Amino acid sequence: MKKKGIRFRSDSGSIRESSSRILKDIDSYGIGEKTGFEIKLCVEEAVRNAIIHGNKSDPKKNVLVSYWVDGGILNIEIEDEGAGFDHESVKDPTKEENLLRNSGRGVYLIKKLMDRVHYNEKGNKISMGKRIK
Amino acid sequence: MAVRIESKKDLTVCHIDGEIDINSSPAVKKSFDKLISQKTPKIVINLSKVTYVDSSGLATLVEILKNMKSYGGRMRLASMSPKIKSLFEITKLEKLFEILADEESAVSNF
Repeated sequence: MKKKGIRFRSDSGSIRESSSRILKDIDSYGIGEKTGFEIKLCVEEAVRNAIIHGNKSDPKKNVLVSYWVDGGILNIEIEDEGAGFDHESVKDPTKEENLLRNSGRGVYLIKKLMDRVHYNEKGNKISMGKRIK
Repeated sequence: MAVRIESKKDLTVCHIDGEIDINSSPAVKKSFDKLISQKTPKIVINLSKVTYVDSSGLATLVEILKNMKSYGGRMRLASMSPKIKSLFEITKLEKLFEILADEESAVSNF
């Protein structure tokens, strides 16, 4: 599948819209329910972070979602217009002392459910890959 | 998303139907606020009809548990689908919650 890029506004409706568009476009690859669930979750967590933490919910700022399939791998890039964040500063939510905290689980789930995760140096773009074929 | 609350003897069973995500989490929390303000001692949350949970949904369930523990209340989660159970395993939240296979086992000896 060739690369597609869609610009979304920084509003909560974009979260579901972005995952629905990707899942619809990869439907022909016949991915299973579990893989679909994991892709949906990771895309929605990343777009939510881009809107809330990246763009600070500024309606004038957009989130660019790009995706393509190459060699059986679904590649997804999500870029916001914010100042960037240090993903390494996110505390491990699975440590005993952090279990009751309300942050860090989205980033952690992406790391665990995707096969490849990379952030650019600025910290405003996440690239993820998952084998679907 | 809908929450149905049912009282069974000395405990309360809540059935959540739909998705617990960033959009529905405030409504889920609101549904439990009254039970918490009444210091409901035992709550079983039946998740059999929950199809999706994101990190906001997990945070909401943690918040409800924390609020219940503040007055000595207890909560059990029941009937999770394997997909949702895997999120509790990955995030180690299974250590925090009492997770039972079905409502019947969650209700018995509670």
